[in-house]
Amino acid sequence: MVLKVFRWSPGSRERLQKYWVKARQGMTVLDALVELQRNSDATLAFRYACRVGMCGSCAMVVNGRERWACRTLLSNLARGPVTVRPLYQFPLIRDLVVDMAPIKNKMLEMKAVFVPGRRAMDGDGFAQIGSRTRERRAIDAAIECIGCGMCVSACTMVSHDPNFPGPAALNRVFTLQRDSRDGAHADRSQAVLAEDVLTRCHGQANCTAVCPMEISPTDSILALRRRAVLRLFGIGPR
Amino acid sequence: MSARRAEPFRGRKMLTRRMGSGEAWRDTKVGMWAWLLQRVAAIGLVAVIAAHLKNPFARPVQAALLALVLFHGLLGVRTILLDFGLPARWHRLLFLLALLVGVAAFAAFWRWRWY
Repeated sequence: MVLKVFRWSPGSRERLQKYWVKARQGMTVLDALVELQRNSDATLAFRYACRVGMCGSCAMVVNGRERWACRTLLSNLARGPVTVRPLYQFPLIRDLVVDMAPIKNKMLEMKAVFVPGRRAMDGDGFAQIGSRTRERRAIDAAIECIGCGMCVSACTMVSHDPNFPGPAALNRVFTLQRDSRDGAHADRSQAVLAEDVLTRCHGQANCTAVCPMEISPTDSILALRRRAVLRLFGIGPR
Repeated sequence: MSARRAEPFRGRKMLTRRMGSGEAWRDTKVGMWAWLLQRVAAIGLVAVIAAHLKNPFARPVQAALLALVLFHGLLGVRTILLDFGLPARWHRLLFLLALLVGVAAFAAFWRWRWY
C-alpha cells in the first residue's frame, strides 16, 4: 500500500513523500506511520499518545477527511494511495505535527473560562449539578470535548474568516452559558455577539460530521444563537 | 461592532483546505452540499428573475424560475427548522426531503399549467 505523507519543516519546501507499507489485517494509519518511522524514515514527525482512541493526539487529515489515525483502519479506506496531511487551520510545527494553541486562544477570546458565580458554592462546598438534572442533560454530550481540533480543521468558516472562533471554542461557551454556577454569562454573551462569531456559522455541520466524540458543535452554536436572539428582544436567559 | 481581533498566528505556515483540489471534495458532507446548492440557486435566481422580467412568457425561463425558487426556498425552510432547534443530526433527512418535495412540487405545478 502506498502512503503519501505530508512533509515539511521550517526552512524547507512542503512535499508529499511516498512510502510503501505492507498492509496487514487490522493495521491502522497510526500503525503504518509508526512502522515507517521505525523502519524507513526516522525523521518523520507525528504525534500520538494513547493509541486507543481516547486522547485525540493523533488527529490528522487522511484522504481528505479529519480522522483519528489510531482508529482508522487502512482496510476501510478507498483503494489507491492514502494521503496523510496535518490538520488544517493550525500552524505547522513539523510534518504532521501542528500547534494546538489556536483552540486555547479562541477560548480565551470568547471568555470560555469558568468564573465562579453566586451559585458556585453551597453549604457543603462547591455546588454540584446532578447527572440526571435537566441542566446537566442539556450539556451532557457537549462537555465531552477532548480538544483534538478535528472540528476546527473541518470547518470551512474557520478557513474563510480567521476571526471566527470555530466550533470547539463555541461549544465550550455553550456548556458554560448553561452552567448555573458560572458568573460570567453576561460578559460571554457580549463576546459571542461580536460580528465574526455566531453569525459566521453557516450550519454546514462539517464539525459535527467529523467529531470522534459524537458531539454536535453545530447544535451548540445554534442554541447559543437562539439565546442571543431572545436576549436581543429582552427575553430569555443570557 | 467589535474591532477585528489580532491574529497571533499570522505569518506561520498552516494548511487550508484547497477547494480547487479533488481531495477537498472527496468526502463532502450533506450540510455542505445543502449550503452550496442554496447559494448557487440564489445566484441563479438573480439572473433568471432578470430574464423573466424581460420576457415573462418564455417557458424555459418560467421552468428555471420555478425550479430555483422551490430549491432555494425549501433549503431555506430546512435551515430555519434547524435554527429553531431541530437536532442537527436530522439535517441529512431534511436535505433529502427538501430535494424530494422540490422535485414533486415542480412536477405538480408544471403538470397543472395554471397559466
